[in-house]
Amino acid sequence: MMRLKQWRSDPLVRAIGLLQVRLSRVVLAIFAGVGAIGSAIALAAVSAWLIARASQMPPVLHLTVAVVAVRTFGITRGVLRYSERLASHDVALRGMAHLREQLYLRLAQSRSDRVVQLRRGDVLQRVGADVDAVGDVVVRAIIPVGVAAVLGLGSAGLMFYFLPAAGLSLLACLILAAVLGPVLTLRAVRRAEIGGAQARGDIAAHTLTSLQAAAELRVTGGEQQLANALAREEAALTSAQDAAARPAGWSEFVLQAAMGLAVVCAVIFGGLALAAGNLEPVELAVIALTPLAAFEPIQALPEAAQQWYRSRSAAQRIMTLISDEELAPESGGGVQSGARRRPQSALIAAHDLTIGWDRAHPATKDLSFEVDAGQAVAVVGPSGAGKTALLLTLSGMLPPLAGTVRVAGTDPLTWADGLQRQEMIALNLEDAHIFHTTVLENLRVARGDATAAEARAALANVGLGPWLESLPAGLDTMLGPDATDVSGGERRRLLIARALLSRARVLLIDEPAEHLDSDTADDLVRDLLALAHRADSEGPGRAVILVTHRHAPLDAADRVIEIRAAQPVAAS
Amino acid sequence: MATVRPLDPRLLREAKAARGYVILTAALGLVTAGLVVAQALLLAHVLAPLITGAAKLADVTGKLLALGIIFTVRAAVVGLQERFAHRAATRTITQLRAALLKHATALGPRWLAAGRASQIATLATRGLEALEPYFVRYLPQLLLAATVTPLTLVIVWWQDWTSGLTILITLPLVPIFMILVGKLTESASKRKIESMSRLGSQVLDLIAGLPTLKALGRERGPGARVRQLGESHRRATMGTLRIAFLSGMVLELLTTLSVALVAVGIGMRLVYGWMDLVVGLAVLILAPEVFFPIRQVGTQFHASSDGVAAAEEVFAVLETPLPDEPTAKKTAAGSFSADSDLAPAPDLAPAPDLATAPITVDEISIRAGERGHLAPAHLSFTLYPGEVLALRGANGGGKTTASLAVLNLLRPHAGEIHVNGTPLQKIDPAGWWRQIAWVPQRAMLLPGTLYENVTLGLEGGIDADELGTAARTTGFSKVLAELPHGWDTRIGHGGVGLSLGQRQRLALTRALIRPAPLVILDEPTAHLDAGSEQVVLDAISALKASGRSVLLIAHRAQLLDLADEVVTVHAAAPDDAGNLAAAAIGGARAAADSGANDEA
Repeated sequence: MMRLKQWRSDPLVRAIGLLQVRLSRVVLAIFAGVGAIGSAIALAAVSAWLIARASQMPPVLHLTVAVVAVRTFGITRGVLRYSERLASHDVALRGMAHLREQLYLRLAQSRSDRVVQLRRGDVLQRVGADVDAVGDVVVRAIIPVGVAAVLGLGSAGLMFYFLPAAGLSLLACLILAAVLGPVLTLRAVRRAEIGGAQARGDIAAHTLTSLQAAAELRVTGGEQQLANALAREEAALTSAQDAAARPAGWSEFVLQAAMGLAVVCAVIFGGLALAAGNLEPVELAVIALTPLAAFEPIQALPEAAQQWYRSRSAAQRIMTLISDEELAPESGGGVQSGARRRPQSALIAAHDLTIGWDRAHPATKDLSFEVDAGQAVAVVGPSGAGKTALLLTLSGMLPPLAGTVRVAGTDPLTWADGLQRQEMIALNLEDAHIFHTTVLENLRVARGDATAAEARAALANVGLGPWLESLPAGLDTMLGPDATDVSGGERRRLLIARALLSRARVLLIDEPAEHLDSDTADDLVRDLLALAHRADSEGPGRAVILVTHRHAPLDAADRVIEIRAAQPVAAS
Repeated sequence: MATVRPLDPRLLREAKAARGYVILTAALGLVTAGLVVAQALLLAHVLAPLITGAAKLADVTGKLLALGIIFTVRAAVVGLQERFAHRAATRTITQLRAALLKHATALGPRWLAAGRASQIATLATRGLEALEPYFVRYLPQLLLAATVTPLTLVIVWWQDWTSGLTILITLPLVPIFMILVGKLTESASKRKIESMSRLGSQVLDLIAGLPTLKALGRERGPGARVRQLGESHRRATMGTLRIAFLSGMVLELLTTLSVALVAVGIGMRLVYGWMDLVVGLAVLILAPEVFFPIRQVGTQFHASSDGVAAAEEVFAVLETPLPDEPTAKKTAAGSFSADSDLAPAPDLAPAPDLATAPITVDEISIRAGERGHLAPAHLSFTLYPGEVLALRGANGGGKTTASLAVLNLLRPHAGEIHVNGTPLQKIDPAGWWRQIAWVPQRAMLLPGTLYENVTLGLEGGIDADELGTAARTTGFSKVLAELPHGWDTRIGHGGVGLSLGQRQRLALTRALIRPAPLVILDEPTAHLDAGSEQVVLDAISALKASGRSVLLIAHRAQLLDLADEVVTVHAAAPDDAGNLAAAAIGGARAAADSGANDEA
């Protein structure tokens, strides 16, 4: 029972469950694999029979069936192997697509604060390479193990039919290879991993440092220090790999030796049975030569073990992404109606807020303020005082450590679905994502029905008019996957243009002026603050809360909130 | 991909470790070939008399024992190959990495700029590591194909030339058909691979943008899009695989069919009594062994091609000629691992003492980027000892580039820098750099203790009081006060464990305690908030008070106010600055400096 439970909670087993592979497809792929390698084994068995029988010079007609069979197996092997590879990859790809979708849906439903804290590189690694690794377990481990099991039992069974002792000795040798080979390989993989992973990471980091700081190392010194560290790490990696190679070498030895043992046993048992009259001479050729081919499926098992290990660590990373997290509240009818109610008090009210990522080290404490529609507020303070955390808390992406936030009278943490957030708050983070699509679609992320004219106006508003004109296809220009063809300043302004298109009643903007030169930066901050005063057809204008380092343009703000690390705050 | 050479001669030339390994593996291949043949002949000689009834088991025990020994030895050879193959791989990777790093740094800061540093770092680590399957899996099989295949074929021919002929005809068909299939499907598979990777990256893109979608409340819609993209991605991938697996099928089909034809041929000749059973069995056992290494080469080819491609990229970098330094050019043409003869040219003058010598920058222009505009353009100034000189100007104007030229890391395309009348490039760079403390925009931090980092490059020790004073000036003492281990605190790679501002303070402290008459500060306030800006102002005042010269790159007014002289740096459109080749000369000398170490 315990074992079963442990098995079920294994991250890889759970991840494989999420692949939702259909059993029938797996069985089909195993069948094709059995047919392919089975053809090779059958080819060895039948041609041994054919040659031994032919040496007795029977009428040629007696050999016809065997001749046809040998030729057929010669063809089926290649064809069935092709089918097996296609079938197994199809199963794996279906599973991977399903797992990716599940990851997206679960992340989309999980609490915002968790999602916001995910690092981009981590997500890409997990959703990309890690999901691939989990899919590979189907192709490289599950199906080969199935094929090896069927064929191992099958070929031992066939030998058993001719001579029980030969069948049993073949089975014993196959099991020996099938157990020891993968066990030794796993030991090798673990050894390589234990010493190697750390050394590899260190080597990568040192290599990068020595290249990025090449000039500085030359001027300041320290080249030798770095070279010594690199040599140390390379030695560590080498010794880890050396330790791993020992069991790996033994694993190869066992596979080969077991095959030899099986052949020798078959000859001995066959020779004895021949003398006792329990075996036909022709059958001796079959039981002695079939083992030479019967070990082929077993040879795939060490790699299967390796794949299992690799996929398991990938599955662990994936599972930490989606497991044991609290899902966002699914519905909240009362809350929704509350949100649409006209606010009786200020649009945003923060009361005795303590915020931060970590309860033990709050970034700032006892923060209280109110912001009305049509007001522009600037937040200033030293790095690390929690300015970004404040924006996240106000938008309900990060729960306050103490105190309350009310937006239009409701707690943003309880907002049930995206629609509600979309209507109330647009949060513009410094590191927001530029999607690999057109400029227009990137702007429409904030509001799906934004027109091209609105998009153009928004870009002009943030000073990207000339940039837009320089683009080859205007608004329809594709932006790179990491927006690499957009400079830092352009990227920042593009994100702000996106925020401008939002119809949300509260705009939260983080550090809009980074990467811009002095004058441009001050102008942009002023323009953004002025947005609050621009009353439009829908009401008294928006509330703008803007985090900035720049002090010059603060005159455009109605109020400046200065926050200091973990100290009470003075609002001026 | 099709141009990947199976065994690149450059690999053997560059990586000495690879040579011995190839010889050893080839020798093991010959031993294996002998064992394969002996195994087949022995097994045939054991089985045939038993089948024909010419002998009893007791008559063949000697041969059976020998067979057992041969099986064991063959297993041992395979085990040894696996045991030691990785050593060659690791050594080769290490040697190639060292050569790559040395050459890349020698190519200079300009060449390494714009993301190339991290590209090269990836190539030197993850890229080269893909060479391991090449050495451990592919190369041994390739050498087996060069030894076992011809030798066993000769034996088959000797035993029964008809079977030998059948195999000989099939053998060349394998690569021919594989290449043919590859060529026929090349354009189709290229198209499909493109659409496959595009769809794949779109899915990843959507998921990577999820926090952004959530921040704007738009996370619900794209779920269906992820499903659609996933489905299209699967279909595109299957389309690619259907083509990609074809060549594998051809390989399997030809080799297995050939073995089957050999078996049938032997059977037919046996039935008419034209052949001996011993020969028939021996050939039947040998036939698959002829093809085995070739099949393995086919299956391992793709696993190894990443590594080979990485190695080719490395060679492309290694073959990039160093900038117009005569000695460096000679090295680029020769072996990269033996450039220790690159000693500083004898005509270099010792560096003048910067405490007394003024630096004159005379009308220098440096070409930037591919469009060739000049940044800086026609820049002139003179930095007198003890003076604070600030460079200002718009982004991209060439302020940092000008500082690199003063550091003698870049050579101007036009104009010249003199020190006390001596041209900078005639001055021994080691002595020059010893007199300069440089704080670039993102100061380098090495993994190790804070103390090791702050004293980096210092010759001799440092007085504790002096260090304390410097740390108080830069405010780093406050950072230290919160660390339980103080100066002995260890930091990770790239200064992990310190914030940007803290790193800046550490770098400033390092500059303050370095007994260098010239200090170059590149935008020292970039990562600091208003409160911390004072730190930089204090540091500069301290430097000034101690009589050192400061070359300062700055935007902010408070900093510019501190300067004795402010020079504005401009960029300009390309003029007739001539067609001077890009010159990064510091690099070649660094290679010379570290060349001696590599001999050890």
